[in-house]
Parts: sequence; structure tokens; C-alpha cells
Amino acid sequence: MHTTNTSVLTRRVWIRSDYATLPYEAGWATEAVFFTQVEGEHPDLTITTDISPDGINWIARGEPRTLGSDQSIAESSLTTFGNWVRLRVEGASEDQPARILVHVNLKG
Amino acid sequence: MQKTLSYDHQLERFNPLDRVITFDDFDRGFNGWMDLTPNFVYDNYESFNSAVDLTSWAPSMLSSAPMRFAASHGSMEGTYSLKLTTGAVAAPHTQPPADGSMGIALKRLSRFGDPSKIQIEAWYSYTPAQDRIGLGEEDIRAFGFYFDVQDGEHRYMPGVRYVNSLGGKLVKKWQYWKVADGVTHADWNFGVEDGWCAPGIDNLWYGRRHEDGSSDGYQWVPGGEQDLLYNESPDKINWLYFRLLVDVQKREYIELQSMDTVFDLRGIQPTLAERYRSIDNLINPIFYVETDTDRPVHFFLDSVVYSTE
Repeated sequence: MHTTNTSVLTRRVWIRSDYATLPYEAGWATEAVFFTQVEGEHPDLTITTDISPDGINWIARGEPRTLGSDQSIAESSLTTFGNWVRLRVEGASEDQPARILVHVNLKG
Repeated sequence: MQKTLSYDHQLERFNPLDRVITFDDFDRGFNGWMDLTPNFVYDNYESFNSAVDLTSWAPSMLSSAPMRFAASHGSMEGTYSLKLTTGAVAAPHTQPPADGSMGIALKRLSRFGDPSKIQIEAWYSYTPAQDRIGLGEEDIRAFGFYFDVQDGEHRYMPGVRYVNSLGGKLVKKWQYWKVADGVTHADWNFGVEDGWCAPGIDNLWYGRRHEDGSSDGYQWVPGGEQDLLYNESPDKINWLYFRLLVDVQKREYIELQSMDTVFDLRGIQPTLAERYRSIDNLINPIFYVETDTDRPVHFFLDSVVYSTE
């Protein structure tokens, strides 16, 4: 039977500029699904998943997602990612902030 | 029924009391250790008013302890440890903790077997992220452990904290959890009059803090100076032994062991608060780590044994 775990990477945080979650180790898992939710009004957001050899240097991996101002939830998935993962959210600003909640579900 | 007991050989590096309640080797998953969050019970799932943002602590993770230039360390035995981490942000040590400046993991348990003593043991290690040159030791403010206990009369939190560095200066002394005399509810909650926590509850972030590292919630362990093993680069870690023994009949500390040094804490009582509603017979073990600067720091738990007698 697989092991599965859900961690909350970002808990209802207001973002007012480009944002990245903390480096997260997921090497025990073979699949990762990130869920990005937004509470209330927000601008269009672009969501990208990154991978890293060391949790310090990052490279984009997977298809970017757009979470439109009329949407409240988006998913991003990775199946080959090594050990370190993170999620980036771009599009929020001082004039148009967003309150975001990011879960990652891991399985392996 | 006749019982035959056979122990995991990994218990050879622990000294458990008579009854092992949990033995958590994180090679097999999170073992029920989880992130600490406040109670989301108000309108729109908001939590209570606090001077400290209790929603912001970094998530713990299963780590193979991979380093920037060194290889993966794995764990003391096996591949994975439970890693507590922080964001790259710290308030001055005289202020309430900054959002995300701590990492906390706990296990939610209850009383079993009417114990008189409870004990936590762990093998652990600590280091900052290797995001800059240097040794990095001075960027780790502190790490600690406490039990959250409630019996039929009191809620209390016997705990200890290793103060590694304050404002970039190494301190390397142990503290235990106990509230200083004369601390009011508002003092404890940084001026929030209707703050959730009573003095003696959640000392890890409440109570006023002073320049020398003393505070409303922590007292220095007598003779508690200890030069813990920290290796010569942020990407080298070594595994250390930790043990805290508490008398839950007398509601007193017994002793703290760190590596081979034992600190006698007999006769010292943690602060006894009034019981909270509906959590009688709760016993939760909790670990935490704090950064001293704008740099993530990590605390690795290879394995943890909780035992009672």
C-alpha cells in the first residue's frame, strides 16, 4: 500500500508580489499534486512548479497554470521531480493582492 | 493470554521507561507527527486574536538530509528523518516571534495506563540552509521540546529549550519552561487583553523576552551551559541524544539528559494553569526550532520514543 501525506505549504497568506513556497523535500514520493486556492477577489495568477538539486537553486518543471480572477482553485502535478519541490505564484500586487492557500499531496 | 515481547534493535540506543507508548522512526512515514495550527473556529474559519501569527509556521517534512555540496546524509539509521524548518525571517529575540520564524511538530495523544512518569527521547540534528558562506552556527537561535499535559485539575507544559544563539552571538545554554513571578495575562499575550493563552501555556511564543535571553516563560537550567556538537560546515550534521523525564503525579520535572550530560531538575514545577475545556487527560509531545536571522534553519528527528511508568 502506498504512503500518502498532505502538507499545507501556505496557509491563507496575503501576497502582494511574486511569491514562492518554502523549499519542500518530497523525495520519498513518486507523485505530487499541488492545489492552489484563493479566497476572495484576486487578479489573474500564474502558477509554476519548480524543482531543485539542493533547495537553493531552482528550475521550472511542469506546465504553468493560470488561475483566472473568476476561478478559486487550480491544480499542478509532478511525477518526476527528484527531491526538492516548490510552487511559485505570480500576478499579485499591492493594488491587487490575493489570499492564497496551497496544499501539496504526496504519494509513493 | 501469554505474551512474547521482542524489541526492535533500534531501541538499544534509547532508555525507555517500562511501557513504550510510541516509537517513531520516520523511515516509515510521518507517524502521526503534524504541524501545529491554531483553532479555526471563528467566522470564516479565522482563529483567535493574537500578537503572534499562529498560522504561519513552516510545514514539517520527511527529509533524506540532502546538502548543497555534501551528499544526502540519510538518517541515523535508514534514509528519512522528520525535518522541522523555518522561513527566512526572524524578529529580534526581544520581540514576539516573526511570522514563519519557527518550525513546530507535535503528536496528538491522550493519557493511557495511569502513569506516574512520562519520558520523551530523541536522536536529532540541526543546521541552517547552506545559502551563504560560513559556518552558520550562529544563525540557529534555539530548539526545544515540551509536553502539553492536562489532567483533571491543571493544564501545564513541562519543556526545555536550547538557546544556541541570540542576535548572532552564541549562548549555548539550556532553559526550562516556567513563568516568572508576577506575569499578568496581558503581559503574557503581548498586550492583547483577551488573549487566548494563560501564563504557562505556549511559552514557545508568549511572554516578554529580554536582551540576555531570559524571558517571562523560560528560566535558565542551573549549570545548563553545554557546547553541543555542531560540525564544521552547514552541510555536515551529526546525530545527538536527548531525553526529558517528567513526574506527572507530582507535576514536577525530574531530569533533562543531553548527550551524556544529565541535568537534575527535581523539585521544579512547571507553571500550573487552570484546566481548559474538554481536553482532560491530554498528553502531547512537541518539538520546535527557531531561526535567529533571515535564513531557514532545520531540525532533524531521526526517531522518537515516548514511554511511561
